[in-house]
Amino acid sequence: MANIAIQRIQREFKEVVKSEEVAKCSIKVELLNDSYTELKGEIAGPPDTPYEGGTFILEIKIPETYPFNPPKVKFLTRIWHPNISSVTGAICLDILKDQWAAAMTLRTVLLSLQALLSAAEPDDPQDAVVARQYKEANDIFKKTASHWTNKYAGGPNCDKDYEDKVTQLQSMGFDEHKARVSLSTCNWNVERATENLLS
Amino acid sequence: MATPTGAEGGTTPPGGADSADTDAGTFYECNICLDTARDPVVSMCGHLFCWPCLHQWLETRPQKQMCPVCKAGIGKDKVIPVYGRGSNNQQDPREKLPPRPAGQRSEPENQGGGFPGFGFGDGGFHMSFGIGAFPFGIFASTFNFNDGRPGPAPPGSPQNREEQFLSKVFLWVAILFIFYLLIA
Repeated sequence: MANIAIQRIQREFKEVVKSEEVAKCSIKVELLNDSYTELKGEIAGPPDTPYEGGTFILEIKIPETYPFNPPKVKFLTRIWHPNISSVTGAICLDILKDQWAAAMTLRTVLLSLQALLSAAEPDDPQDAVVARQYKEANDIFKKTASHWTNKYAGGPNCDKDYEDKVTQLQSMGFDEHKARVSLSTCNWNVERATENLLS
Repeated sequence: MATPTGAEGGTTPPGGADSADTDAGTFYECNICLDTARDPVVSMCGHLFCWPCLHQWLETRPQKQMCPVCKAGIGKDKVIPVYGRGSNNQQDPREKLPPRPAGQRSEPENQGGGFPGFGFGDGGFHMSFGIGAFPFGIFASTFNFNDGRPGPAPPGSPQNREEQFLSKVFLWVAILFIFYLLIA
């Protein structure tokens, strides 16, 4: 990897470690290899959102041309959010694409992602299904996002009703995650979710 | 070694510049490589970069040139090089990269210049004569006060002297022409 990229990451790494957000446990970065090309990020779900209490793990890949091009970031933890794919974890955020600027750092990227969790942008969606639910049935969206946070990110809020519905489909022989996706997609209507799984 | 006149756009150290190695040292870090800036340039929006870093950034997206920090408009001709004392000569011949843009020296403000012969002052005064078909053209002589055209060159500059000279020449041509019309 280019020298400037390695140097930058080393410095940024120190910056994140020293930052007050780390002290507050709201963001974290770990190295995955010695060449500084792959890192693991962690952000805490922001308070007063369905993601509160969850810990979301991110995969960060540093391109050869860093910092002139943005790092490639995606969610490894499954998340229900209009701008993040519930299937792949791909993120739709302008600063990770054309609005990247060379002065941005790992710290600012992680903080921006945290901000994205508190302020979704449903008009520029990555996951169209989630975005539609966000706009048309916001209550269900919040409960679903909270349920996913509980299941996949260690969040504290357990929704008995949703749990039961997932178990119900599971007992019919469906995979737990697939059942959850289908229920989430069909606004937790069990019949439609079943049809959806069978089709 | 000379201090360029445009240097006030740069950064003023907050007092203790001696303890440069601690946090004060980060004050002079390039916003791109996060290292102490080498061949430093400062943008119009006041952000410091290494010239090689900024050049590469501008090359990366030539269609949309913006400051990496604040996203203000930026360009090769819109940055000011920063010359510290005793930095140059050694190392870094800036091999492949184009040389850092040069500083622009503007002449200091010169009050109370003015036209020696006519006392028009040196404000935004332009005078032009349009001479067309008699008898209409002669009335086309207009005095233009601060219209949309660029202002006069800074007083004292060669361009300004040239303009003054030309304006005098045309004035005399016009006066001679009027005189010729009167006696003809």
